[in-house]
Amino acid sequence: METSFALTGKGYVIVAADTTAARSIVKMKDDQDKIKELGSHLLMAYSGEPGPSNAYIIMPTQPTDPLLSFYSGDTIQFAEYVERNIRLYQIRHLYPLRPSAAASWIRRSLAVSLRSRNAFTVNLLIGGYDLADHKPTLYWIDYLGTVVEVPFAAHGYGSYFALSLLDRYHNPDATLEEGLATLKRCINEVSKRLVVSPDRYKVKVVDKDGVREVEL
Amino acid sequence: MDNVYRSSGFDFSNSIRNHSLAEKGLPLPKATSTGTTIVGCVFKDGIILGADTRATEGPIVADKNCEKIHYITESIRCCGAGTAADTEFVTATISSNMDLHALSTGRKPRVVTAMTMLKRHLYRHQGQVGAALVLGGVDVTGPQLFTIHPHGSTDKLPYVTMGSGSLAAMAIFESSWQPNMTREHALQLVTTAISAGIFNDLGSGSNVDACIITATGTEMLRNFVKPNERVEKERKYTFRRGATAWKSESIRKLIVNEQVTPVAGEAMDVS
Amino acid sequence: MSALEYNGGSVIAMVGKDCVAIASDLRLGTQALGISSNFQRVFPMTDRLYVGLPGLGTDVTTLYERFRYRVNMYTIKEEREINPETFAHMVSSTLYQHRFGPYFIEPVVAGLSKSPTGALKPFIAAMDLIGCINFAKDFVVAGTASSKLYGVAEGLWEPDLEPEDLFETISQTLLNAVDRDAFSGWGAVVHVITKDRVISRTLKARMD
Repeated sequence: METSFALTGKGYVIVAADTTAARSIVKMKDDQDKIKELGSHLLMAYSGEPGPSNAYIIMPTQPTDPLLSFYSGDTIQFAEYVERNIRLYQIRHLYPLRPSAAASWIRRSLAVSLRSRNAFTVNLLIGGYDLADHKPTLYWIDYLGTVVEVPFAAHGYGSYFALSLLDRYHNPDATLEEGLATLKRCINEVSKRLVVSPDRYKVKVVDKDGVREVEL
Repeated sequence: MDNVYRSSGFDFSNSIRNHSLAEKGLPLPKATSTGTTIVGCVFKDGIILGADTRATEGPIVADKNCEKIHYITESIRCCGAGTAADTEFVTATISSNMDLHALSTGRKPRVVTAMTMLKRHLYRHQGQVGAALVLGGVDVTGPQLFTIHPHGSTDKLPYVTMGSGSLAAMAIFESSWQPNMTREHALQLVTTAISAGIFNDLGSGSNVDACIITATGTEMLRNFVKPNERVEKERKYTFRRGATAWKSESIRKLIVNEQVTPVAGEAMDVS
Repeated sequence: MSALEYNGGSVIAMVGKDCVAIASDLRLGTQALGISSNFQRVFPMTDRLYVGLPGLGTDVTTLYERFRYRVNMYTIKEEREINPETFAHMVSSTLYQHRFGPYFIEPVVAGLSKSPTGALKPFIAAMDLIGCINFAKDFVVAGTASSKLYGVAEGLWEPDLEPEDLFETISQTLLNAVDRDAFSGWGAVVHVITKDRVISRTLKARMD
């Protein structure tokens, strides 16, 4: 089952997501990157039910614009829609959206989508480093458009195991090494106890220097 | 969702989402429905309307002293039972439309007009607007009393009851109502009928509201009888200051008085 | 379980002597799983007007954004602050407009309203999810712990409490009620609004 984690630390956010792409009971792929780099200092992990991939819908923000048509239910479609719109904003305004603004915009896109006939069923973790106030920020967003800023977060069945571990071991002033150690605890626990646990994860970090991938 | 100011009428933009939520096992919550006793009665000089003052949310008493006799015009009032928000908004809408109607015709509006507006509104919504109403008033044709059901059907009777306490109240009317009653006698009868609802129907309770409408004027008797007054508490239950532990505090100072002093230049010429 | 209970959370407001208080818990969960212990659902609308929005998390944000926008537009167009009574009717009609596709929120409004003479009068109101207003003179409650809050508040509230006493009463009412509700708790916040200041405190609460 799909699982993603994220936690903040001293000047950074770690975002981790499993790499399996599954359809029904079949594992189609085990090296998929489910963490989009939305900007120089912004990460988004996405997961959710794949849904019917051939249902044709039009994005409800501009219902008459035929260029904005999507295949619904597919988390990738939503992630790419977000990625390109965040990029467009930066091109138009010459500066990127701050993490809080990006989270608000993404939440609204989800809430609008939820009111259309074919809604995206996608859960997100938005991790960013705010260059204006030099703070790492993390947002938990679910498919209903619920948004909340949190020190640590998780989605999927893994969250039932990981959240209690994160509650115990999370430290907002931890160094990156300590943060990664806490993340490893979560991943190990999920591998040990979850029946349908994923075996590989991709881990990305965002801090003042930007986003980068790290090996565990 | 995109526009904040919208055209009149209901907005269904949440419906698809709420339907899919219901399919995922999160059913629509039940809206506040008021168990109620409301009555109306014709007497010699006019109409008396009566209502209890309890509002319920399932088994919980949400409001112990709400107002169920709604203003339509100066000489027309309407009691509401059923979905609380619907009775509130349907009477407010029709009250507004009656004002506009009076302005455009230049006449004092009649009770049948209000009745027709209400039944058309309710019929148009096919019972989905869950308002059961007792409409009464005095106009140029004399005293008028109607009941209006949620689907839009109406009755014109000399004494009427509605709501979950309607059976208890009707029992009183059936045994004691007489034609051409005096004001005192009729008010007594309405009070007894509402009291029957208050004490025998779980959905009704607290106080008796009454409204007497005659050709000479309207008298709103808010909390006419209060048979369920709460006795004074025997002890004080205040806490010692500092009893509650708190982690952080922020105090926002507000401006109480401000004085504007012009610093330079002449006052703007506004002549 | 209905959509109103999906994320949990409760709000209460009380009237005191020339002051009002509004308080809420801070939990946001998905059914039994707790997600956040710092989810704000009480928001300032003007200096002396607060609104609490217990219910479905996504609608808390959507409606807050909506009301903030409409209050801003009102302030600009009317060149004055909105009255609590006016604001309550704005909230109510917004909810009733969605009568047949509601937002899953039961709002609570608390503030001090200015009379024409300039005197400030306490005002509180609560609504159901389709906008039926309950104007109360003592206290109003809403959310998953509402049934418990009714009972505790009925016992503890008394008229003419000074701001500091009102803080104790509303805090104890909320804390004890949410301890009996599995879907509310995980911290609490209280705002006491008086004529010259707003005191906001986060309470030490049980975290289970």
